Amino acid sequence: MNRKAASVIAASAALTLGLTGCSSGGGGTDGPEEDPASVEGTLRVLTPSFPTNNEGQAAFEQVVEEFQKTYPNMEVEPDFATYQNLNEKMSTSIASGGGYDVLVSGVGWTAPFADRGVFMDLEEFGITPEEPGEVSEELLQAGVFEEAVYAYPLVVDARAIAYRKSAFIEAGLDPDDPPETFEELKAAAEALTQRDAAGNITRPGFDFNTTPGNYRQAFVIFLSSTGVDLYDGDEPNFNSEEGIEALQFMADMIGNVQEFGQQNAAQTALVLSDEAPMGFVQSSIDCEIVIECDDLAFFLPDNGRPAEMIGGDLSSVGANTDYPDAAWAFIQAMMSVENQDRIALMNNKIPASNEVPQDAASLSNPLAEFTFENLDNGIYEGGPANWLEVRSIFGPTIDEVLLGQTSAEDALERIESEALSG
Amino acid sequence: MTATRADSPIRQRTTAPRKEKHHSKGSILRHQKRAGWWFIMPALVHSVIFTIIPVIAVFVLAFTDYSFGGRTDFVGFDNFVELMGDNSFRAAFVNTIIFAIVVVPVAMVIALLVAIGLNQRIRGLSFFRTAYYVPTVTASVAVGVVWLWIFNPGSGLANEVLSFFGLGRASWLVDPDLALPSLMIIGIWQGIGAKMIIYLAALQGVPTQLIEAATIDGANKWTVFWNVTWPALGPAQFFVLITSIVSTFQVFDLIYITTKGGPGTATNVLVFDIYNNAFQNLQLGYASAETIIMMLLIGAFILIGRRLQGANTND
Repeated sequence: MNRKAASVIAASAALTLGLTGCSSGGGGTDGPEEDPASVEGTLRVLTPSFPTNNEGQAAFEQVVEEFQKTYPNMEVEPDFATYQNLNEKMSTSIASGGGYDVLVSGVGWTAPFADRGVFMDLEEFGITPEEPGEVSEELLQAGVFEEAVYAYPLVVDARAIAYRKSAFIEAGLDPDDPPETFEELKAAAEALTQRDAAGNITRPGFDFNTTPGNYRQAFVIFLSSTGVDLYDGDEPNFNSEEGIEALQFMADMIGNVQEFGQQNAAQTALVLSDEAPMGFVQSSIDCEIVIECDDLAFFLPDNGRPAEMIGGDLSSVGANTDYPDAAWAFIQAMMSVENQDRIALMNNKIPASNEVPQDAASLSNPLAEFTFENLDNGIYEGGPANWLEVRSIFGPTIDEVLLGQTSAEDALERIESEALSG
Repeated sequence: MTATRADSPIRQRTTAPRKEKHHSKGSILRHQKRAGWWFIMPALVHSVIFTIIPVIAVFVLAFTDYSFGGRTDFVGFDNFVELMGDNSFRAAFVNTIIFAIVVVPVAMVIALLVAIGLNQRIRGLSFFRTAYYVPTVTASVAVGVVWLWIFNPGSGLANEVLSFFGLGRASWLVDPDLALPSLMIIGIWQGIGAKMIIYLAALQGVPTQLIEAATIDGANKWTVFWNVTWPALGPAQFFVLITSIVSTFQVFDLIYITTKGGPGTATNVLVFDIYNNAFQNLQLGYASAETIIMMLLIGAFILIGRRLQGANTND
């Protein structure tokens, strides 16, 4: 390598590492002793919670209005992300050294980004695992990493199983006694499955309501329903007897009661459009759209512990922010009863705060009532700092099991090995 | 002796104008060079900022464990060694090669046939030329969404067509054996328009005198095509081949919209795997190593393409 080339590479390395270096450090220009009314500047907010339509923009403006009651001289610059491009935006903001003041992300994001120093420990604002503020201690666990709170639940996305009572009656099943265990669920799904003369499934008995590569969440639910969590601290728990049982159960269901990856063109839950008699649903339903809403009932899988998978939007303060107090004030503005209800309603989720009344619009449907009542049975995915990496291995590897390309034992062994190598 | 030569009036008379002429030519050349630099400056600045620096950064990052935060260490060839044992990378590597080997030649053949057809005097010529070019100018997101519906196992058009002919339904994008071929169909369909336009332009540039001369000499249509038209298409063929190889190796948006690399790793391709490693798994160093391998692979394919076409370095 000649000297010129070496110089160019060295300069590039310096530039690259310089960019990296820019991502650390920072300091506050507002503080507890400063009058919020005198703070000037721009608060940068990254959030997937507000759809980029008129309704979403209006809802965001309401939050800004609430925030500016306390910080009248601060501007708010939103970056409306989706969960598909959230990682890109967060990672590139770290690389550029810019960063956001407020970041709204999902459950799986907390540990990886807290570990990278992107999120601020919320203890500065009086939030600890023992002092959860206006959300329950159980719910706050989604934002905890290494015994500190880095993300505060805003709205919750909870998964339950819905079934159609009329279909149960038609199949000779008791609609008041829904299946809960693996055996019961499989037997009911088989009884509900309809086939043509050639044996092809024409109406699935159970809808996993997911796309190829995303069966991971169903696995986490079924695993947790055995009483075993995905992780015990940083230690993987899934490569266990219970894990194999849960994954094998899913493999037995695929091709038997539903074809792999089956979805309708709109990619909505088949049970809601009456294209399946039973299946996974999320958080909340709009009974003006759902076919015969009264025909629906809900339950949680229970092989020793009822398991309601909790996801949703969690708010964090950027570690590099110059306005930590303003950032927290903005999060509190989003957490106001009216704003939280509005955000939940727009996203078909449920509010995280205990202060939102049961008769709030976002809770006024049968599924939201059910999932809200069962938040205590909440289970989460994720845990260690390398979760995003492990998560990307989970999807395709579980697909392989469901497609009969590998065994549940081998698949979980492989994922565990990857989880431990990180 | 030297002084005598320098002082010679003859010498002075002959050399002075020559010096002035030489100076003037050099000055013009310098001005031209400077003007040239000014003209290429915007493109050069753009290339340096958005191409050269990122490429150099990729080569540097490939030997580090950079992951958007935390400490960054130099790891030598560890990323490359790890890639060799990475199932996802191996699947992406193989899928990308299969995708390119099928899509590039098939799309080129179809595009050439379409171009030959559209080079004839037929009714609705403008309509057909536009229709074949529309997929090229349509946003990949829209294309992906439409094909998602076409390939939907329950209510998609593809299965309705199969049913019409009494054939069984297929799972298209969710069947690991069919997913990649399904995407190849989309890739071929999407790539025909751009290739067709280039072929059409090349076909219209084939000298009519040569075709007429060959026809007068008694050559049939096939002989005329093979001995006159085909050689004249050489430069266009080469251009189409290179751009096709590069674009098929860089297929991303189609995968992102339709299958996300699944089921399993059945449709995982290199660019999608690089994206996943960089922005989903936050391993930019690892993704950079993968990028270098992809660059080498594209280079190898272009080299093979050149050899197969017998191209010389002036092409």
